Parts: sequence; C-alpha cells; structure tokens
Amino acid sequence: MPSFKAILSALVTIALVVIFNRSWTVGTTIPPLGKFLDPFHGFWRNAETRNIPVEETEMDGLLDEVSIFYDSALIPHVYAKNEEDLFFVQGYLTAKYRLWQMEFQTHAAAGRISEIIGDKSIDFDRGQRRLGMVYAAQRSVEEMEKDSTAKMMAHRYAAGVNAYIQSLNYETLPFEYKLLNYWPEPWTPLKSGLLLKYMAKTLNIGDKDFEMTNALKLFGKETLELLYPDNEHVGDPIVDNPNGWKFKPISLDTVPVALPRDFVQVDPLEKSAPDIGSNNWAVAGSKTATGSPILCNDPHLELNLPSIWFIVHLNAPGYNAMGASLPGAPAVISGFNDSIAWGVTNAQRDLVDWYKIEFKDGTKNEYLSDGKWKTATKVIEKISVKGKADVYDTMIYTHHGPVTYDKSFHVESESEKNNYAFRWIAHDPSKELLTFYLLNKGKNHSDYMSALNNYSSPAQNFVFACVNGDIAMRIQGKYPVRRQNEGRFVLDGTKTSTEWHAFIPNDQNVTYKNPERGFVSSANQYPVDDTYPYYVTSTSYEAYRNRRINSLLASMKSITPQDMMKLQADNYNLKASESLPGWLKMLDSTKLSDEEKVAYQKLKSWDFNNTVNAEAASYYEAWIRVLYPMVWDEVFDSKVSLPDPTAYTTIKLIKEKPELSFFDIQSTPEKETAVDVVRKSFSQGVKEIEKWKREKQKDPTWAAFKDSYIQHLARLEPLSYHVIHGGNGSIVNAHSRRNGPSWRMVVSLEKNGVKAWGVYPGGQSGNPGSPYYNNMIDVWTADRYFNLHFNSSAEQVKTFAQSSSTLKPKGK
Amino acid sequence: MKFIIQTLATILICFASQYFLPWWTLALASCAVGYYFNNSGFTSFAAGFVGVGILWLGMAYYLDTKTLAIMTEKINRLFPINVYVLLVVVGGLTGGFAALTGTLLKGKKLARY
Repeated sequence: MPSFKAILSALVTIALVVIFNRSWTVGTTIPPLGKFLDPFHGFWRNAETRNIPVEETEMDGLLDEVSIFYDSALIPHVYAKNEEDLFFVQGYLTAKYRLWQMEFQTHAAAGRISEIIGDKSIDFDRGQRRLGMVYAAQRSVEEMEKDSTAKMMAHRYAAGVNAYIQSLNYETLPFEYKLLNYWPEPWTPLKSGLLLKYMAKTLNIGDKDFEMTNALKLFGKETLELLYPDNEHVGDPIVDNPNGWKFKPISLDTVPVALPRDFVQVDPLEKSAPDIGSNNWAVAGSKTATGSPILCNDPHLELNLPSIWFIVHLNAPGYNAMGASLPGAPAVISGFNDSIAWGVTNAQRDLVDWYKIEFKDGTKNEYLSDGKWKTATKVIEKISVKGKADVYDTMIYTHHGPVTYDKSFHVESESEKNNYAFRWIAHDPSKELLTFYLLNKGKNHSDYMSALNNYSSPAQNFVFACVNGDIAMRIQGKYPVRRQNEGRFVLDGTKTSTEWHAFIPNDQNVTYKNPERGFVSSANQYPVDDTYPYYVTSTSYEAYRNRRINSLLASMKSITPQDMMKLQADNYNLKASESLPGWLKMLDSTKLSDEEKVAYQKLKSWDFNNTVNAEAASYYEAWIRVLYPMVWDEVFDSKVSLPDPTAYTTIKLIKEKPELSFFDIQSTPEKETAVDVVRKSFSQGVKEIEKWKREKQKDPTWAAFKDSYIQHLARLEPLSYHVIHGGNGSIVNAHSRRNGPSWRMVVSLEKNGVKAWGVYPGGQSGNPGSPYYNNMIDVWTADRYFNLHFNSSAEQVKTFAQSSSTLKPKGK
Repeated sequence: MKFIIQTLATILICFASQYFLPWWTLALASCAVGYYFNNSGFTSFAAGFVGVGILWLGMAYYLDTKTLAIMTEKINRLFPINVYVLLVVVGGLTGGFAALTGTLLKGKKLARY
C-alpha cells in the first residue's frame, strides 16, 4: 500500500504533466509548456541552418521519380516526368515551406480565424462569411471540377500538400502550430479556391457605393462630380487607342438610375488600403540594348511574413515555367517560360454592387422583386471560437447574393429597413487555374489571348512579352455591361432592371499589341481612352505612378535589365513635385518660427526623391497628413460614411478653387480658404515632426519617419521586421509603411535564352527558425535582385544547385 | 555520490525515452530511476530535477550552437521569462516530482526532507 506521501507526490507529478501538456489562456495564450519547451520535440526543433537537407523519400501518390534542385536562395527547381507529378510536388514543397501560412490564409478567407485565436476575430469571421467567401470558392471549385485540366491541377496539388501533412509529427510540425497549439487539417481543392477568392477580396472588392450614395444626398450632383469624378483625366490611360474600338457594343435599354432616398446607415467593413496596387510594363526590342523585349512586374500588397509569394521553377515534358506562385494555388502566377513572360497589376473596375432589399416582414423569408415576393434562402453559419462557446449567425441569400448588412451586422441604426445584398463578380463560377496553366505553357501572343479568355476574377492588367518580339497588354476580367453612372450608388433591389444583364464579351475587352510608342504599361490608372464604348467606373484610379513610369519609358533608349531595376526602385515623388512648390509659395515666410524656417528650407531645396535619408520627405508627409483631414473635415466628421476624395483631386482643388467652401474649417469661427489651410497644416505638420524628434531622439530621415514594417501574419513582433527603405504610395517604388512591392521581377526575353531576376521582401521558408525566413529582405531593401536561374535541362541546373532531393513513388 | 549516480542515470534513461517518445515519458523514466535507487526523498527529488534540467539544457544548448540560437532569440522576445530558466523549471519540476514519487512508492526508507 503506497504511503499518503507517495500518493500525494504522484498526484503532483501527474498534475504537472497535465498542466504542462495543454495550453492556457491567461490574457494571452500560453502554449503547452512541456511539449513546447522539450528540446527533443518542441520549438528548438524548428531551428534550422543554411544547409538544405537532402531528401530521398518514397511517397504514395507519385507516378514517377521527381528531382528537385535548390539554389542558394532555396528556390526549388522541380523536374518531373509528367504534369500530374509536377503539381503534386508543387503542393508538397509549398506545404513543406509554407503550410501554416497556406492554412491560416484559407482559414481567414473562410472566416475561421476565431478557431485559432479566439473571440477577438468574431466580427472579422462574420464579415468574411457575410461577404459569401466560401460560397464564392465553392462555386469556382464546381467550375474547376468540370474542366479536366483544372481538376487535375487542384487535386494533384492537394494530394501533394496532404502527403506532407501526413508526414508530420510534433517534432516536425511548423512552429506556429506549436505556439498556437493546433494541428493542420487535410488540404482540399476548396482551399485553393478560397485562396484565390482571398486574393479577389484583397484586390477587387473596392467599392464606395454606400459612401457615394450619402455624398450625393448630402452634397448634390455638381459637388459630387467635383469631389469624386469618375475619371480625373490625368496621364495616359493604360490602353490609348482612340477610335480603334471597331466592334458593336452590347447596349442595354436606357433605364434612369433610381437613386435611393435615404442615407445609408452602414458602418462598412474594412477596405483594402488605397496604396494596394501594382506596376507592370513591357518594352519592345526597338527600345532595348539587346533588341529583345523586357518585361517587368511588381505587385504592391500588404507586406507580411511569410511572404504572399513563393518562387518555383516547374519543369515537365512540355512544361517549363518559373516565377512567383501563391502558396495554396498550383502553377506560376507572375512569371515566364522559354518563350513568353507575363505579369499582373490590379485592374481598377467596379465589380461590386449593393442592392437594398425590402423584406415582406421581420421573418425575412420573402423579399420583393418586380412586384412579386421571392423566397430567400437561409443558412446558419457556425463559428467555432477557441476557448469559448460557438457563435451562430443566420445568413440570408437573395438572388443578388448574400445579405451582408442587416440589423445584426454593421448598421448604425437597427431599423428593419437596413438590408443590403451583395453582388460581387467573384461570386460567379470561374476557372482561373486554367488561365495560369495555359500561360505557364504559352508560346506566343495567341496562346496568351486564349489563356486569358478563361479568366474572370479578380480583374487584372495582364502584361505580355514574347521572345519573338511581341509585347501586349490586356485588361482581363468579367465585367458587367453598365449604364452611365450605374454601380456608383446603392441600387434598388426590388427592380430587376438595375441588375447585371450582360457581360462585356472577351473580344471587346480592352487590349492592345505592339503599340507604336514601343512599350505597354499599367499602374492602376484609368484603363482606356474616352472612345471605348462601355461605361467604366471604379473606387479610385492611381494618378502618379503611371505618369512617372510612362514619361521615363518614353524617353529611354537602349534599355538594359539594370535600367528596369532602377525604374522599379525609382523614388521620385511626382505628387510632391506637383503640389509642394505651390504650397510653399502660399506660406508667409516672414511669420515662420525657427523650426518652421528649417522645415521651409529643407522642403525648398528638396529634389522630390523619397530616399532613405531625405528629411524633406518626412516634412512633406507630415504636412499632407495634417492637411488632408483639415480640408476634408466635412467628410471625416460627418455622421454618415462618405468617400475620401483622392490626393490628386485635393491638390487640384487647392490650386484651382482656393475659395471652395470645403476649405473652411468647420470647428473655427473664421472663414478659411485654401491658403489658410495650407498655412495652418504646415505649422501643425512641423509640430508633429518636432514631437516625433523629441520622442524618438533622432533625425526625421524619411525611412525612420515612415518606419516600414513587415509583419508576421499572426502579428507577433519578434517574428516581424522594421526595415529601412525609401519610396511611398504614389511613387513607383510604392513602399509605404505596410504596403509595397511584394514581388519584383525583370525578364529579358532574349532569343538565345530567357534571363530573369526576382526578389521579394521575405524568404522562401515560412519557418521563423530558418535562415531563409527573411534572407531576401535585405536584398530587397537594397533594391537588388536574385538571379532566377532558368536553364531548361536538369543537367545545367545541377551545376549551381546547392542541394538536390529525389522523391520516388512508393515501392518502385 | 548517490546523488550523482542517480542524476547520471536520470539523464541517460530520460535521454533514451525522450529520443523516441513524447516529452511526458520523462516522468515515467525519472520515476523508474527514483524507484530503482534507494535514495532519500530529497536526494531523489534533486537528482530528478537536476538530471532532467541538465538533459534539457544540454540538448537545447547543443541545438542553439548548431543553429546560432535563431529560434531561441525570437522566443525570448516572445516570452516574458527567459526560455532557459523556464525550460529548467518545467523539465526540472516534472523530473523532480516524478523521481520523488518513485522513491516514495518504494517506501523502504523514510523520506527525509
């Protein structure tokens, strides 16, 4: 019989094991300390060295042997004997380096973050579901399943990811799972669909219909057009082809746009930052040193770790493509092969509408449509919450789409009348995977054109260049045919006449090939000249980057890839050059304080480059940050949500209409003009800089003041990095505090072999314990590139490979 | 001397069990070592604590030297307590109480605290 002490001691031991074997929530979540700290299996096992381990594995699911060669940047060059194995291994390798990120992003897309981090994200999760993200992904997966190629890609990729997941044990489990204490679930084609919809949401969900509706009611039509014009008519459109549109456009019966009578009292979900955008261009051989075209792409997205991109080189008979892939989706998204190169920027286009729904009664079972009651479909969404009870949300689907906003979600008054259904192009079935497959294998311009015919969302400006000398641009997406002004405001959901009746046929989309000027480019500006026969509108268009890029490209000759790299890193602040001289003249230089005099001198002698050490850039930024809300106090302080006028319009109005009533600051008794606002905001901006200097105890150099930050997806500070880098939004080097060039690629399409360079602010490995987690960041901030070794034979690749691995089918 | 022998035995047996099995098997291993050696309760507890502590510290230190502490540096900023201290407390307490339990279960000698 054990003694009392023995029993007590045994109980203490058991209690310790139990306590240390599970996670606890005390403010923050503490991982299971025994498991986590155990140096035999815990987090220490996620620490890695620069050596890339050789893998000789037999695995189920492979049809034949696959060789993988890694270069010094941990870029895998995959050599498979068939495409089934190629996508299997792409899935396997992407999971091996990025599994946690892949799953976290698709959980975010599906509104399942509360499962991992608890009740903080319930509102986010509800929002994702109410936007119909899973509904959209399901519909696109159904479409993928109908196409044998897309189906093969999605399923083989999923099988590869799952082969990796099955190989895991606690020791090899990615770090974040250990920290947050959960396990990965099996990968499915639906998750690939969710990832693509997540990108669609990031890029194409921009809309300001609610805000515009309120602005129209509050300000009237004339002021609305002054503050929020459809087209600012600045610079060249992406495709400038006046009177070149020789087709018969689809026309709709003219129905006057019925404007809603009431203010929209909705607190809209968070939108993408306005500095999310991208640059791409291609120059023809006539302008380059080698006589071959050069293509460049840099998509600007929120900069996070692990990075949104993963570089791969995929080779199989008939397939040889390299470039940036999205962890979670098969094939290369922005890249090149032996014959062609392609890249993407976001096409600014209104692809979102909101329909005000009239329900029969409080049960919301039926809603009005053309005088008849239609039945709504209800779906109960269950949101699992870590450490808390499940949350349920009832979603109502109309024929327009899901009712996102109703009295239980993000409305400012709990009226039964606030019901808005969401119509989004990404809800429609589509098969984007096929586009990328065909681009990966494309040989020429006509392959590019037919690849894009399969592409609907998110709408992108696809740049193209070919070894044979062709360059092209196509603004591809599925676009509803709109009547003038349709889609700018909330629509009446009780009338079918306002719905999307037709889509612009693919062969009528905006495109051109080999323009006379010798280059094509896009930087999220207005897409097309005024003779294009369809109505085009969007949340906003970028006014500066495109002009800077086009003016430089137009003047350049004998272009080398190094010139193109310099252009991607160009820090010239066109916005400042167009606004600052005028503003400085408005100041009364006799009445400046000592600090203001210093600022004035710095700004006056500035060359308008947002370089790392430029203090003037900080003063300008501080100034405009004060000026903008001071001008638009009527917008910011309004009780209803209103759209933000663009910086371009703001600057233009200061110059051209200084007496405009909006320049009056509402909180003061005086009547201010633009000059007063410019002066006041200058003084306050300088004060902000002085305050910053006192707090930080250092000089306000641009990079220090901007304080760019690349953040881990779980927002963990020790896994994130502050970086020193120039640039800003509206600048070609579009690196603001959190957003920037998430991938930079330059491809020279030379006849004797395609050469390419690429870099992104992160690293190939998603493991914070790997030297390859952040090794590209310093290269990226120095505006340097990695040579993307692209040799078509495995023999050549072996000559530079740091490590090679072989995956074999089991039992062969 | 007895303490040192039990400590060394704990390190050895726990290493063997940890190498193949989950972390909590160190409790079973340390308990078995405590049961086998006829030490006092205090000596046994200390041997379990120090044995597992040294084993874990040694292993962690070895991995840190190999990887330039790439992971430890980050975890130290993530946690409010130094991770080496935490490691010794968690491993040591579990190993110590397990060893004490082993000794007490055998129960031939009265434990002297």
